[in-house]
Amino acid sequence: MTYLLEARALRKQYADKLALRGLDLQIAPGEIFCLLGQNGAGKSTTINLFLGFVSPTSGAAFVNGLEVAANPLKIKEYLAYIPEQVMLYPHLTGLENLALFSSLAGYRYSQPELQGYLTDAGLPAEAVRRRVGTYSKGMRQKVGIAIAVAKHAQVLLLDEPTSGLDPKASNEFSELLRRLSAQGTAVLMATHDIFRAKEVGTRVGIMREGELVDVRPTAALNAQELEQLYLTYMH
Amino acid sequence: MHTFRILFSAEWHHFRAAKGLVLLCGLLLATGLYGIYYGTTEIERQRQHLATLPELTRRNIAELKEKFPGPADAGDIGYYHSTFAVHHPDSWAALSLGLRDVNPTYVKLRLLGLQNQLYAADNTNPMKTLSGNFDLAFVLVYLFPLLIIALSFNLLSGEREEGVLPLLLAQPVRPAVVVGAKLAFRLVLVLTLALLLSVVGMLWAGVPPDGRVASWLVLTTLYCLFWLGVVLVVAGLQRPSAVNAVSLLGVWLLLVVLVPSLLNLGVAAARPVPQGIALTIQQREEIHAGWDRPKAQTMSRFFALYPQWRDTTTIRERFAWRWYYAFQHLGDLAVARQAAAYAQGLQQRYDLVEKLNLLSPAISAQSSLNALAGTDLPTHLQFQRSAERHHDALRAFYYPFLFRRVAFTHADYAQEPTHTFISAPELTTVQHGLLKLLLSVALVHLLGLGLLCVRPVTPR
Repeated sequence: MTYLLEARALRKQYADKLALRGLDLQIAPGEIFCLLGQNGAGKSTTINLFLGFVSPTSGAAFVNGLEVAANPLKIKEYLAYIPEQVMLYPHLTGLENLALFSSLAGYRYSQPELQGYLTDAGLPAEAVRRRVGTYSKGMRQKVGIAIAVAKHAQVLLLDEPTSGLDPKASNEFSELLRRLSAQGTAVLMATHDIFRAKEVGTRVGIMREGELVDVRPTAALNAQELEQLYLTYMH
Repeated sequence: MHTFRILFSAEWHHFRAAKGLVLLCGLLLATGLYGIYYGTTEIERQRQHLATLPELTRRNIAELKEKFPGPADAGDIGYYHSTFAVHHPDSWAALSLGLRDVNPTYVKLRLLGLQNQLYAADNTNPMKTLSGNFDLAFVLVYLFPLLIIALSFNLLSGEREEGVLPLLLAQPVRPAVVVGAKLAFRLVLVLTLALLLSVVGMLWAGVPPDGRVASWLVLTTLYCLFWLGVVLVVAGLQRPSAVNAVSLLGVWLLLVVLVPSLLNLGVAAARPVPQGIALTIQQREEIHAGWDRPKAQTMSRFFALYPQWRDTTTIRERFAWRWYYAFQHLGDLAVARQAAAYAQGLQQRYDLVEKLNLLSPAISAQSSLNALAGTDLPTHLQFQRSAERHHDALRAFYYPFLFRRVAFTHADYAQEPTHTFISAPELTTVQHGLLKLLLSVALVHLLGLGLLCVRPVTPR
């Protein structure tokens, strides 16, 4: 089986810290894998390794079967990324930001299409032509979601993507993830939100001090069990 | 190429949104136009002043004709009659005034000793001279790097600090293309301003459309490329914007202010030049001593050097013009070695600066622009030599009247030699300057690219 995301004995040593200790992970098309763990557990490092933002000390990360280190540009055609805090060009409008990032990804959309992506992501129609500098964190997050969706990526890398979103927008985002997953998109989402992970994820992995200490299918757990499991590893 | 175009176009949007930078560009454009106005006005002022000199000569001749209505002793004429050796500016001088504000643009000459006349100049306001010229070359060499720094100090760090870089680098875009597009946009912007100002300046000054136009434009382009290369090096270090700004301003201070000052001091110490005033004093003493020396002694020294006048009659009078001019002439010869050493010393200083200015592309660029405009030291020394030759011609014209006791008539004024000198460009200096700038550009760009290879661009 071809995994869209795969980590083989992935290890990352920073100057004074071992951030990732031989991670092995496979995420298949249509799967939503939620990484849970405290700050510093290695969730963001894992995402950064898949993005090619940092180089592994040993081991390898693969996107759609391509090794990230050897194909740093090609793998970015397959993936979209939403960071915890989406930061955009503040003097451009939401529409202009989306047009810019989409065109860099190789997509040219008409104005109505761009507007459609933004409003689908939950951005109010009146805000799409406003400068992003006037946006709230949640509104920027929605533009980030629109950028990811408009890229038609096979892989979504999400680092606390619902941070800053109100409950309604978070629910809409979960719905969007489910929709994308149904279309075959693989999702790797780092989050602290156990209940969101349970609600949207197909599998959850718990990271602790750079190790993936437990992986469970969400269908096999209820929310309380997942919380209990999480707390067990965190203490 | 497609990605590059998108990023380039995005840079235009970013620039338009940064009102401060737009304002700064407008300000620099206005400053450049003022520089052109300043230069052309100054050269026009010099031209107008120089244009009055033939009239002064005509009036002087008219006065002498009135004073000496009939045939006159050429000694009287040579003493009272003044003529001018004039350093006419080339039209390029308006764009790079160089040394035209500190060196005399004309020399008033009489038949007397040359050396003290050669260094007699109009009084100028030393405070004004100290502040230098605000011409187009000044704007290009000193102020344009500051614009480049203001536009580029946050070349990558700005996006990193704003948090946009992770999203940007998550797209299938090579970091080198991002840097390249940013640099290319700044290059186009800066060159548009610099070349626009240059073309406006050339049209305003009315320069002839010859090879110097291309040389000026290439020099300007290379100089801007050099500073963008410095930006690339600093960006390659991937430090915060504040550190970049301080580093770039430090480089500007070093290359535009400190190195030129230190070079000036170093070259003055390494190539000492005899003081011009010492030369003038020695010449005056020699001439004044001529009054007390026996006439026969003076004349035999003079005849030894100029045997062609030996057959003239022995001087028995208490005063004779040919004796007077002979000791004036000997006064010049007495300091000929010092005068040559002075000019040679200045030339050697210039040559040493030309060798060392590889250390500062700012000096190299300024020196090349001055050479192109014919406003540098070698041109001034050429003018001095031409003034010397003119004085020699005056002597050659008057000496037959003096030593053969031929009367000077009104018709002889028209036969007097005239002087012409127009600044010519020092093209060798320009070629060397172009090569040095090219070398500097290659060096900083290779260093910058090397840094980007060694330290790949990271989003955080």
